[in-house]
Amino acid sequence: MKNSTLVFRSLGIIIFLTGLAHLFSFGVSAGGDFPTSVTETDQETIQHPEATKPAENLDSNTQSGKETDYIIDKWKVVYNTDEYKGAIVYAIKKEGTVFNAYTYQYEDENGYTEKAEGTKILTITSFNASKGKGIYSVAFEGEKYKIDCKIALVDENTFTLSYDYYGYTDVETWKRQ
Amino acid sequence: MIEFLAKKLDWLDVQYWFYIFNDLSLFYIIVPFFALELIRYAYLKRLDKDLVLDSIANVVTFGAFFLIEIILGILAITKVYYWVYNNISLPHLELNWATLICCVLLADFAYYWEHRTMHRIGIGWATHTVHHSSPHFNMSVAYRFGPLDAIMPIVFSLPIVMLGFDPILVLLSEVFVQVFQTLLHTEIIGKLTKPVEFIFNTPSHHRVHHGSNRQYWDKNYAGILIIWDRMLGTFEPEKEKVVYGISQPINSVNPIVVFFHGITRFVKKLRQIKGFSNKLLAFVKPPDWMPKP
Repeated sequence: MKNSTLVFRSLGIIIFLTGLAHLFSFGVSAGGDFPTSVTETDQETIQHPEATKPAENLDSNTQSGKETDYIIDKWKVVYNTDEYKGAIVYAIKKEGTVFNAYTYQYEDENGYTEKAEGTKILTITSFNASKGKGIYSVAFEGEKYKIDCKIALVDENTFTLSYDYYGYTDVETWKRQ
Repeated sequence: MIEFLAKKLDWLDVQYWFYIFNDLSLFYIIVPFFALELIRYAYLKRLDKDLVLDSIANVVTFGAFFLIEIILGILAITKVYYWVYNNISLPHLELNWATLICCVLLADFAYYWEHRTMHRIGIGWATHTVHHSSPHFNMSVAYRFGPLDAIMPIVFSLPIVMLGFDPILVLLSEVFVQVFQTLLHTEIIGKLTKPVEFIFNTPSHHRVHHGSNRQYWDKNYAGILIIWDRMLGTFEPEKEKVVYGISQPINSVNPIVVFFHGITRFVKKLRQIKGFSNKLLAFVKPPDWMPKP
C-alpha cells in the first residue's frame, strides 16, 4: 500500500473519531440533568451585581454567553483541612462553550506562594450568571474523583461551590483575586 | 441513541468499569485461563521444563517492564500529558458515552500504529522482539516485554490528549486495549464466527502475528479491531500452522537474556555499521536494514 494512502486513510479515521467526540461533547445536548453548554436561559436568573472588572462586557454586550464572562478571572479559595492548609488560586478560562478552572498558584499558611502546574480542577458546564453546575475534581485519601457540583453567586466578587457526593459534602468559597 | 451517546457519565463509574476489566480481569480471566492452558499442555504431553521456565521468564520480564512503565507513566501522566492537555490541546471534551467510545477506538488505532512502528523500525524491534521471542503461545507470553516497550505508547497516545481527551481517560483506554490484547494469547480458542473474525482481533489473528512463518511476518498489528489491518494492508488470515518465535531464536529461558537480547543484538549490529549517520539511520530504518557497502 502506498504511503500516501496510509496517511490519508489514517487521517480520515482520526478526523472522523475526533469529530464525532467533539460533536457529542459540544454540539449535542443530552438534555435532562446534564446541560452541556453555558447558557443564560434560566428563567430564574438573578441579576448579579455589576462586577467592576468585566463591567464593559455586562453593559455593552447582550449577546448570549457574554453576561457570564465576568467569571473569567483568578479566584482564591482558602482551605483549612487535614490534607491541605493554605489557599489555592484558580484561573477560570472560557474554552469552547464551557468554563474551565485551572490551578494557578498555591499559597501556604505563612503566605509563601508557588506557581501551580495548571491542572484542570473544575469544568462549569452550565452557568446563567448567578447559578451553575459543573464537574469538580476532588482528591480524597489519595484518590481523585470527578464529581458534580453547584455554583451560586454571592456577590460580584464571591461565589460558592458546593457538592454532595455519597455523603461527602462541602461548600467552598471562591473569592475574586 | 444520540441522547444516549451524549449522556454525561460519572467519572467514578467510568473508572470503576475500567477497574473491573483492566485490573480485575487478571484474576477472573487471565489466571484461570492460563491454568486451563497448563492443563491442556499436560494433556497434550507438552508441559515440560522449558515451557514452565519460559513462562516464569515471561512474568519476570513483565516485572522489569512494569517498573519502567510506572516511572515513565507517572512522569508522562503528571507532567507531559497534563502540560499538553492544558497548553496545546483542542477544547477539552466532556465525559459521555460518545467520547468514551471514541477515546477507546482512538487508543486502539494509536496502538495499531505504535505496534506497527515497533516492528518496522530498528530500535522498536530491538525491544519488541522480546515479546515475540517465545517459541510458545499462551497467556504468559502476553506479559513478555522488552526494556523500552513502555516508551512508544506514550509517544503515540499524546496526540489523543492533544485532541481534547482527558489524559486519565486516554491512559485507561490504552490499558483497556492492552488487556484485550492479552486475552488473545491462546491456542485454546480456534476461529470464531465470521462477523467476529472480520471486525475484531481474535486469538486466530494474533497467532498469525506471532508466527515466524515468512508469510506471517509483520501482519495483524491490531489491538481490538482487526479492521485497522484490513484497511491499512497488513491483514493475513491464519491458514498454515503457525510456528511461534522469531527468525533467529534465542534458545534461552534466562529472564535477563530474554529481556535484553534485542538490545544486545541491536548494539552488535550498530558496531558492525560504519559511519555515524548510518548508525543513526539504523534506529529508524527497518530491523533488517544494513547500509549498502
